[in-house]
Amino acid sequence: MNRYKEVLIKNIWVENPVFVLVLGICSTLAVTNNLKNTLIMTVGVTLVIAFSNFTISILKSLIPGKVRMMIQVLVISFYVIIVDIFLKAFVSDVSKALGPYVGLIITNCIIMGRAEAFAQANNALISFWDGLTSGLGYMYVLIIVAFFRELLGFGTVFGFRVLPDNFVNWTIMVMPPSAFFMLAIFIWIAKSFKKKEESK
Amino acid sequence: MNKESKLYVVLFTFIISFIFIFVLSLINAYTIEKIELNREFSKVKAILSSAGIQFFDKKDALEKFNNLFIKKNINGVDFYIVDREGKEIFVYVFSGNGLWGLIEGAIATNKTVDQIIGIEIIAQNETPGLGGRIEEEWFKEQFKNEKLSGSLKLIYTGKQGDDDKTNSAVDAITGATLTSKFFVKIINDSIEIMRSALRSE
Repeated sequence: MNRYKEVLIKNIWVENPVFVLVLGICSTLAVTNNLKNTLIMTVGVTLVIAFSNFTISILKSLIPGKVRMMIQVLVISFYVIIVDIFLKAFVSDVSKALGPYVGLIITNCIIMGRAEAFAQANNALISFWDGLTSGLGYMYVLIIVAFFRELLGFGTVFGFRVLPDNFVNWTIMVMPPSAFFMLAIFIWIAKSFKKKEESK
Repeated sequence: MNKESKLYVVLFTFIISFIFIFVLSLINAYTIEKIELNREFSKVKAILSSAGIQFFDKKDALEKFNNLFIKKNINGVDFYIVDREGKEIFVYVFSGNGLWGLIEGAIATNKTVDQIIGIEIIAQNETPGLGGRIEEEWFKEQFKNEKLSGSLKLIYTGKQGDDDKTNSAVDAITGATLTSKFFVKIINDSIEIMRSALRSE
């Protein structure tokens, strides 16, 4: 059980994929100006990491080293296509809103990173857990970034107007560059907390 | 068998690819009908809402579509025609290139094509959160009842949306100028097609 807790803390905080390992940045920049899109995208990513980790871990003793990465990409794209088909068939509105971004989950480096760094060396269950927690670590950072970008860029939270009508929207928050600023501020805050923790 | 031998690598890769792709084709075959229906239905929904007809659910939408609309080919162009309060509304299903991919949608106008009744998007592949916002209500609302003198223009108001229904212009989306430009071009092309078909009648 301790192992599971350790993995959880590692993925959420100590080695968070976004603000410590700085992986999956493309999607951090792209989808985070809208909370709804961010939430669906991160849920998709989380499920894909968990299941591809699980599958790769089961297959690991059979996979030849030479084609290891090819097989990982195969497994990852397999799950991404399933997510895409599922969205198209059962929640077509969401699929419409996310458009090409679902397919681009394949290129999210966190997924391959976890497959290579964790699933190749651990058993299936804890690999699944590792995928799930990495996904959560990715999710909460993106949600926080998206919250501020949507709030300041559109004056809304999940599409509901919260700021007064005379609030002038910060257009920069809608555009990709603001994600750099937001992420940098997030890393800054997180790192200063970390420093305090270490000095204790 | 040696795991690193050529034969094993080839066999393993072949078998594993085969299994995964086989499962995917099964899932695809199982859902393809549903996806096709969804696509058909979003076209029906778009035609209805572009003409300003409200509906409650899927059944209601299909019923209204089948009862109210007539499909008619006028001078080589397919129109969906509906009679609303004694006035004929012409709906044309358009498709054209956006910034990243095809944008499909429906546009409804009056018979003389000098006023847009409404527009609706069926499918698009623009950047989510930027160009993808052409699907948002405020953007589509601008086209509703817009008077047309010549072609539609794109303006940059600095606020969200252009409320003036007589200036034959719509406000571009902040951060998605290119998508807005392409979209207005698609609409103008569609209007041209509708005009040449309906006016030569």
